[in-house]
Amino acid sequence: MTNTRTFITSLRNEGIAFLLFIGGWGLVSVFYPVYIIPSPLAVVSAFPGFLPEGFAFHLAVTAWRIFLGFGISFVLGSFIGMAAFSKKWEAPVNALMSAANILPGMILGVIFLLVFGIGSLTPIVLVICMTLPTVTINTVNNLSRRDPALEQYLVSMGASRAHFLRYIYLPSLVPTLLSNLSLGLGLAIKVVLMGEFIGSQDGLGYLLNVARIYFNMKEVFFYLALLLVVTLIYQACLTLLSRTLLKKFFYAD
Amino acid sequence: MIMDMVSVTHLSKSFESQPVIDDLTFTIPAGARTALFAPSGAGKTTLIQILAGLQKPDKGTVRVNVDHPVVLFQEPRLFPYMTVEENIFLPYKLHDHAVNSETLKAYDTWLDVCELGDFIKHYPYQLSGGMKQKVSLIRAYLPNPSFIMMDEPFQSIGRQAKKEIIAHLLKNYPDMTQLLVTHDPEEVQYMAQQMLYFPTAVLGKYACVKTNDKKFQQFRFSGFELPDVETDSTSAVQA
Repeated sequence: MTNTRTFITSLRNEGIAFLLFIGGWGLVSVFYPVYIIPSPLAVVSAFPGFLPEGFAFHLAVTAWRIFLGFGISFVLGSFIGMAAFSKKWEAPVNALMSAANILPGMILGVIFLLVFGIGSLTPIVLVICMTLPTVTINTVNNLSRRDPALEQYLVSMGASRAHFLRYIYLPSLVPTLLSNLSLGLGLAIKVVLMGEFIGSQDGLGYLLNVARIYFNMKEVFFYLALLLVVTLIYQACLTLLSRTLLKKFFYAD
Repeated sequence: MIMDMVSVTHLSKSFESQPVIDDLTFTIPAGARTALFAPSGAGKTTLIQILAGLQKPDKGTVRVNVDHPVVLFQEPRLFPYMTVEENIFLPYKLHDHAVNSETLKAYDTWLDVCELGDFIKHYPYQLSGGMKQKVSLIRAYLPNPSFIMMDEPFQSIGRQAKKEIIAHLLKNYPDMTQLLVTHDPEEVQYMAQQMLYFPTAVLGKYACVKTNDKKFQQFRFSGFELPDVETDSTSAVQA
């Protein structure tokens, strides 16, 4: 019962965000012709006529690229963050990742297109490169913020390194993992679409590019709204997870 | 012959050239319950941390006759993602000790004394400050360590509950060596056999007073002063 209520509360927040977006979009569309900014109603009434053949396939390809690219980045970034923390390399790793974080995605996308050619590899490598710094910096910073009083308790009890890992480091990573999943995935979606936009012949980014070239703005806005809905549902699921199963990890004593 | 549990010789510690412990020498025999009474800002917590091996002294020697003396810190230091029960049994996991039926019986008694029976599945964020402190007390005492150091362990616990807990401690752990840091002379009276009284904000010279002595009553009821007791760092502390 509590979980259901939490989920509904969480969905309500995401729903409000969605309505605000639709409201803003509807308001702006009043001032522009339908071939530049179609209203939400115009998009819904034309649905699904504007969808290209194989839409589901393109959607699945994009989802797979996001999952794979961000999955690799998430695991690698968490690992680098933990390694940097345990070896006391936080400062140099943070500096390196902060520098990497400002590399422009569009330029990297073009470079990867030249190196890897048109296909899945370009968006996947791009998403790894663009999300890795965020995940690593988040991991290092959150590990550095763990509770020294609890560490001191474990020292006083003669705890081993394995105990520190189990009782301090891994639990302190849980909020980080969730924030990485939240921030990182949003970034991953954007980057995969950009990668597909630049160097792919399939996926949602490719469809967006084609729709843009043909000025099919209803299709363009439909894809944007779809991405928003998927992201909001994903965020609601993460919120649910953080307020129920993982709630205990979000409180300091 | 009574073996000393703690032996401190010419101990000194400063923070940014501000001394908090200055040439302190004392011993605590095994089995003694000793209270440490000093003004705020004196290095009481620092002394406990040094005895626990959590800080290094600037000078002097410290000998504690157990590997890891149990420390009851000023704050409960409970693990926020563990339930009350998981926190209490954490020392058993850390030392790979099995929980036997005797331990479980002692655990149940502790829960009764601390009125925590209904909260064993709660997390620390769901408890009051006093309840957290009680959990921390149970976690420290349940494994029956040979030496325990307490830094104001009852500060968030109500007077009546405190008296019941102390009675339980005295009844069930009569031979445990205990060092209590407190500001409350009543706690000293209930808990300790003797008190090390430090008149200044630097732990150095002190007077050792038995709590069943007339001088202690004088101290308790005359504004926590010991006017007629000359401080003497060579006073023998005996069980």
